[in-house]
Amino acid sequence: MDHRPQAWGRPRDDVYGAYDASYLQNSGPKTVTQSPVVTGTSVIAIKFNEGVVIAADNLASYGSLARFTDVKRLRVFLDSSVVGFGGDVSDMQFLDRHLNELAIDEAYDAAEPTPETPTSPGTLNAANLHKYLQKLMYRRRNDFDPLWNQILVAGLDAASKPFLASVDLRGTAFTSPSLATGFGSALAQPIMRKYAATEEDAARLTREQAVDVVKECMKVLFYRDARSLDKYSIAVVTKAGVELKENEQLERQSWAFAERIKGYGTQTV
Amino acid sequence: MTSIGTGYDLANSIFSPDGRNFQVEYAVKAVENGGTSIGIRCKDGVVLAVEKVVASKLLKHGANKRIATVDRHLGVVYSGMVPDGRHFVDRARDEARAWRDTFKTPIPTADLASRLGGYMQAYTLYQSVRPFGITAIVGGFDSELDTPVDGEVGSGPKCGAGGKGEGKKHGGPFLYMIEPSGLYWGYYGAATGKGRQAAKAELEKLDLSGSGALSLEEAVKEAARIIYVAHDDNKDKEFELEMSWISGADGPTKGKHQEVPKALREEAERLAKKAIEKDLEGDDDEEEKKEGDKMEE
Amino acid sequence: MFRNNYDNDSVTFSPQGRIFQVEYAAEAVKQGSVVVGIASKTHAVLVAIKRNAEELSSYQKKLFPIDEHVGIAIAGLTSDARVLSNFMKQQCLGHRLTYGRNMPVRSLVDMIGSKAQVNTQHYGKRPYGVGLLVAGVDESGPHLFEFQPSGMTEEMQAFAIGARSQMARTYLEKNLDAFAACGREELVRHGLKALKESLVQDRELTVENTSVGIAGVSKAEDGSTKVEPFKVFDGQDVNAWIESVADNKEGGAAEGEGMDVDG
Repeated sequence: MDHRPQAWGRPRDDVYGAYDASYLQNSGPKTVTQSPVVTGTSVIAIKFNEGVVIAADNLASYGSLARFTDVKRLRVFLDSSVVGFGGDVSDMQFLDRHLNELAIDEAYDAAEPTPETPTSPGTLNAANLHKYLQKLMYRRRNDFDPLWNQILVAGLDAASKPFLASVDLRGTAFTSPSLATGFGSALAQPIMRKYAATEEDAARLTREQAVDVVKECMKVLFYRDARSLDKYSIAVVTKAGVELKENEQLERQSWAFAERIKGYGTQTV
Repeated sequence: MTSIGTGYDLANSIFSPDGRNFQVEYAVKAVENGGTSIGIRCKDGVVLAVEKVVASKLLKHGANKRIATVDRHLGVVYSGMVPDGRHFVDRARDEARAWRDTFKTPIPTADLASRLGGYMQAYTLYQSVRPFGITAIVGGFDSELDTPVDGEVGSGPKCGAGGKGEGKKHGGPFLYMIEPSGLYWGYYGAATGKGRQAAKAELEKLDLSGSGALSLEEAVKEAARIIYVAHDDNKDKEFELEMSWISGADGPTKGKHQEVPKALREEAERLAKKAIEKDLEGDDDEEEKKEGDKMEE
Repeated sequence: MFRNNYDNDSVTFSPQGRIFQVEYAAEAVKQGSVVVGIASKTHAVLVAIKRNAEELSSYQKKLFPIDEHVGIAIAGLTSDARVLSNFMKQQCLGHRLTYGRNMPVRSLVDMIGSKAQVNTQHYGKRPYGVGLLVAGVDESGPHLFEFQPSGMTEEMQAFAIGARSQMARTYLEKNLDAFAACGREELVRHGLKALKESLVQDRELTVENTSVGIAGVSKAEDGSTKVEPFKVFDGQDVNAWIESVADNKEGGAAEGEGMDVDG
């Protein structure tokens, strides 16, 4: 009889073969989050002439279960940038707390805001914030302990020009006139590119146009993405600050197209 | 000081035969040479103020702040050795952050005061360190509202941060003063530094605990006046007045620790100067009394 | 030398609440040759007198670039200054890497302040024997800071530290109101004139013994700030400036420019 703890409650070696002890080793990299659990789906954003519009729905899924329906995935940083999170919600909460502490630290050194300069110079702008998040995500990836998120950062850069960039769980970072994470990169991005394929196009978009495009994309995502919700949050970032609405409802839905879709579920035709 | 030369005052953490730690007492001397700091706790907030003696004309005006923010809702001001004060503030910020990491909520003023008191006290225990050459005044406003837990994404727990009971009064303005020994008390009005005697006398005249308690804006004006009064003894040197305040969520600072706006500060200084002038005209005999007090010391 | 029981280490207060070791360290700063710094609305400059150990030896550097936007002037123990300088370089580089921006000068100065304070509170450590002037530009404009061995750091409009620096400070106090509006060249000239006040009798500013460091900032039309990186000028590069403040010119050109500022 094998009395070693590793063998307790295990099938007999002589019958089932030796246990693969490599699972028990504690050398090698420490790993924590190896897969996301409760997840948020797409985040989408597009630049316009004087800012950025960013949106994400209010759903946190547990696998295919629509588990939490009031989850706010857009977070405001220092009243001047918005961070949108896709992917694991607990990692998002960790990042949210981390960014809150960063914002508190940053406020220690910032000059007092005056009526002339409401956002005082020397505070981190969206470009600085994105660079920071990229370093953070890449470092966690190298520790084999990634934060399982796809992130969009919307705001203004040092020259007060609209800024939009993404970073994912590997630390991959890039920027574009429009960006989307998750399913949105397949479903929303082509639509947004029709309106803003280049920076020049984006610079011609008005705020109203940009908001309309984003709302249209959220609707398409709700039609086609089974992990999405018709309640969503949308934020507009400009020089004047952040306008965040967290309880929006998709309007004027039309499911007529659904009748023409065949080949799924219990249909027998 | 009769103790000098007995050898019991040459190292920290050493008791003299009559039970004193002289190094801590000497640290207090460093505080007593520093510019006056005061704090006022009134019914709807806290005011902190400090007299910054202008050592050189070449200093940039208003650029060197002496009142520090800790987290968002706490302020710290100190008299004594400024580099020690900055170290102390760094520690306060670390404590506030550590509290948030653990409890996902802002640190209550009382808990910060307790931890900082413990930190100061630790520097009286070993021969390998010296006590802090500062006395610090910590002011804060603990939220009276149900605030979200840090990182909360949905509607969250019904009880709010820290599990607040229903129908109970929570939060409010708080003020503590921490001495080099690590000793700290809660105060309605606290003063330390060179002009503490005069400042304390003025603070005692204010109605801070009664029902007709001072409003926050009145407290700002009183704080300015008290710093001017406390400065009176050493007329020769110029000084800059720095003031900060903290109100509740429905007050002017929305629960945050902030510098008092320029307009209000200047108004308070104008009134303070006027009050001083009036005092000087009014009572020459009081001046004599003060002189008498000094003789006794 | 006057000795007492309370000046052996930096963890003993005297009965008056003083720490003599820290005060002695401040004396080391006064042994170093003089350095001057001035900040205007657009520039921050440092000027310094370099010393050589003997006629044929080279001159000890006094100005050091820290990062693109910051430089320091040192007075006191050069080797202690290098420790602080290396630390500051690392912090600036780290900040640039993680945030993609120039480190705010105040944050940088606060860090060396905290570092120095620790040395005044623990047995077995000694205070740094060097004083610094830190000049730099960031998003909120040009800045000048003074750093002392005690860990005290203060933002100044203009300042001088080192041997006989009181005379330079007197000059700076006299001309204080003019500095804010000064342009690049004018600010350097003010710096050199202050420096001259602190020179020993019969000594002159020469291309060998004078250093100038400049950082600047200007607002571009699109609202972004354009930084003139901190640069140190030595040798022939400082000749024109030295000539422009030469004694025989004092009455002419220099005075005239002074008038401009007032008007």
